[in-house]
Amino acid sequence: MTLPLTIENITAHYGSTKVLEDLSLSLAEGELVSLLGASGCGKTTTLRLVAGFLQPTSGAIRLGSKDLTRLPAHQRDIGLVFQNYALFPHLTVRENVAFGLKQRKVASAERTKRADAMLDRVGLAHLADRLPAALSGGQKQRVALARALVIEPPLLMFDEPLSNLDAKLRVDMRVEIRQLQRANGTTALYVTHDQEEAFSISDRVAIMHQGRIMQLDTPETLYQRPANAFVANFVGFENIVPLSVTARNGAEVTARSDSGAELTLSQDQLGAIPDRFLLATRPDGLQVSTDPAAVGLPAELGLRTYLGRAYQYQAQAGGLSLVANGPLSQPLETGTAAKLVPNPEQCAILQPE
Amino acid sequence: MKRLAGWMLATPATLAIALLLVIPVAGTIGMTFGTPGQGDWGIVQPYADFFASNFRRRVLWRTFEVAGYVTVISLAAGLVTAYVVARCPAWTKSVLVVLAVFPLLTGVIVRSFAWLVLLGREGMVNQFLIWTGLIDGPLTMLYTPGAVIVAMVYIFVPLMVLVLVGVLENIPEDLLQASSSLGAGPVASFFQVTLPLAVPGLIVGAVLVFTASFTSYATPALLGGTRQMMMGTFLHQSAMVRFDWPGAAVVAAIMLAVILATVLVMTRLAKRLNPMAT
Amino acid sequence: MPTRIHPLLIAFTVVVYLFLLGPLIIIFGASLSDTTYLTFPPQGLSLRWFENIWEISAFRRTIVTSLQMAFLGTLIALIIGIPAAYALNRHRVSLPAWLSTLFVLPILVPEMVIGFSLLRSVTVQMGVPVWYALLIGHTLLVIPYVIRVVSASLASFDFSVEEAAISLGSHPAKTFFTIVLPNIRSGVIAAFILSFITSINDVSVSLFLTGPGISTLPIQLLAHMEQFFDPTIASVSVVLMMLTIVVMIIVERTLGLAVVAK
Repeated sequence: MTLPLTIENITAHYGSTKVLEDLSLSLAEGELVSLLGASGCGKTTTLRLVAGFLQPTSGAIRLGSKDLTRLPAHQRDIGLVFQNYALFPHLTVRENVAFGLKQRKVASAERTKRADAMLDRVGLAHLADRLPAALSGGQKQRVALARALVIEPPLLMFDEPLSNLDAKLRVDMRVEIRQLQRANGTTALYVTHDQEEAFSISDRVAIMHQGRIMQLDTPETLYQRPANAFVANFVGFENIVPLSVTARNGAEVTARSDSGAELTLSQDQLGAIPDRFLLATRPDGLQVSTDPAAVGLPAELGLRTYLGRAYQYQAQAGGLSLVANGPLSQPLETGTAAKLVPNPEQCAILQPE
Repeated sequence: MKRLAGWMLATPATLAIALLLVIPVAGTIGMTFGTPGQGDWGIVQPYADFFASNFRRRVLWRTFEVAGYVTVISLAAGLVTAYVVARCPAWTKSVLVVLAVFPLLTGVIVRSFAWLVLLGREGMVNQFLIWTGLIDGPLTMLYTPGAVIVAMVYIFVPLMVLVLVGVLENIPEDLLQASSSLGAGPVASFFQVTLPLAVPGLIVGAVLVFTASFTSYATPALLGGTRQMMMGTFLHQSAMVRFDWPGAAVVAAIMLAVILATVLVMTRLAKRLNPMAT
Repeated sequence: MPTRIHPLLIAFTVVVYLFLLGPLIIIFGASLSDTTYLTFPPQGLSLRWFENIWEISAFRRTIVTSLQMAFLGTLIALIIGIPAAYALNRHRVSLPAWLSTLFVLPILVPEMVIGFSLLRSVTVQMGVPVWYALLIGHTLLVIPYVIRVVSASLASFDFSVEEAAISLGSHPAKTFFTIVLPNIRSGVIAAFILSFITSINDVSVSLFLTGPGISTLPIQLLAHMEQFFDPTIASVSVVLMMLTIVVMIIVERTLGLAVVAK
């Protein structure tokens, strides 16, 4: 069984501090949506509101046709995977997994059967009689996952489930989580501060900041077409250059920076370009060139660092501090005058704030 | 060099406790043994004498009984109270903790005295009962086991509450959230998660209260008098009123043995039952 | 997570708190009585029993003795207990495990047994004067509290800070006073207050060590209660409770009361 989740105009406070403001979000059946953001952005608050550990000041939460807003946490029927696993230390692995079934008055034999079957699916059948203290971090996380899945909840929620694992295990586990979620077709809400993790497993990602969703989109769109400066910066567009259009020629647009440098951009590649806009690029999309004929932003190069695949330069371009990459074949010294050439395939056009 | 520094710093305290506690207490225990060949029991004759006396056996048994009742009642009352206190909002919780600390810091004499006033023939409890018409004349409540138990429960409940609030607060919040997300209501969560995890703490609290009530003096002296003699009051009477020091030493040694056995057995048990330990 | 609590549980808790605080309030009322015997509610209000405390010379003397014991005993316990706590935390590997067990003995061994044993050996066999024997008893009694509370704050002290100071040229002994001690100050204050209160309230050890002319306040109160049943005891109790309240306010202002609850 799986159901869509709807969060409607939720506002929430901690004491007198507003932590969520008029937040709305809906998850389609079987969809995995991540809430991504730095700590304090409201992502965990959102999850705790849906779980029923916090009460919203206003707004509504619905799972399918059921209104969850005022329902006690233990009647919500949501599978929850905690950051610290939250395994019951006094119960064996099997008893942990069977705990939710016991609350649902499933008979003892049936409970054991279903718990063991679920443990088998996460590859821990051989540890069923151990206590959680005897497990490694990855095994604990699998037990937590099995415990949340075995009750066959219409909604699964993950609260930074991988942040206590080492890097290698994180990658393995997120694949495993995604496979199990796909196989069950369960709607899932996933909270994380790790961009790679969110992008790699989500159908859609909501980037949050100060209690609001800044952009909710597929990972591909977020990565290539951020909607605003905050999201652009968040996904690695470190350079943001304000420009004004001086001439339009079909799809070709000529734009001038505040310091007077002119660039030519194609609307075919970048989409519609307004008269005043911000050009956002990653360091990769801004190439250092010493060719006098190159069309780019004139800059004075600063500190050079070695990235392995390229050199990276801190550069000053008409009052802007930018970060650009240059070829390994030609290391340049501090103080060199160069042009910074944007690569249109790696640029995004943003509305000025 | 480092080893020496450590020892030098620890020496004054080590010496103080060794010379002024270990040796004197060892001396007390030493004098409880009789001369070999005298009496049927040889060197343990003084202990045989203790257990041969009906009166002394009754004192020991009464002490166990009173301490047992006090422990069980304090545990029950303390657990419920601590559960409520631990779940209160922060401000209410700190007020309730302060209100429990206050009696704890007030001396045992003052707190026992309060019950002397309440339970006397002219005391408030009798006056109240007569006023309600439940009884015609004043009841004798002082110098009964009940009076000692009530006053001791009164003295040890704050301790129990504070210990158990600490125990309950040490249970990670996310375990209770996990439990409720899996469908357990407050009652199920309490019995299936909170209580099993609190057992080691409950044992610690019970040991504290049992040992303290088993060895207490002021409360049985004031509310039990000579009629409800307990080990503490009996030790005092033997040593300071009858000047029977060998007899007093036997009482002290039995007291010490009960306490050490209780502490050793129960801390082992608490450790074994602690699922949080890895 | 402030959840709803069943009203019955709340009612039970209220009853427990009434049980805890009611008798203390009754003592307060009784101390204001105008009659020569104890009643509640008081019949006629007066403060004469408070004046009476100071007029009975035995109370006057024992209050002074109690304060002396609490103050000096705690001070000595701090002087020998702080280095021991430091050694236990800093040099744990080079000290035997039984040492920390030795340091809790004064709590583990029943106070009555300690008191009787000190009477036998220190007062009688060694002939130590009563005042000094009493001081020995009170010092012993509070050493474990000092070591435990100071250890707790040393446990959260980062000793690399001390090493940093020494590497910068500070003498180890001086470093203890300039770096370590200021950082465990709240632990030392807590140890002082806890020890002071323990000592002031002690009955079981003092019971055996008081002698002719030298007694502590709790022992004097016991003796007084055996002979008289007048509101003076209630007044003394009220004074002691007031002192407790003052101490609690000081603790709350300086450290927070959580310290005592531990």
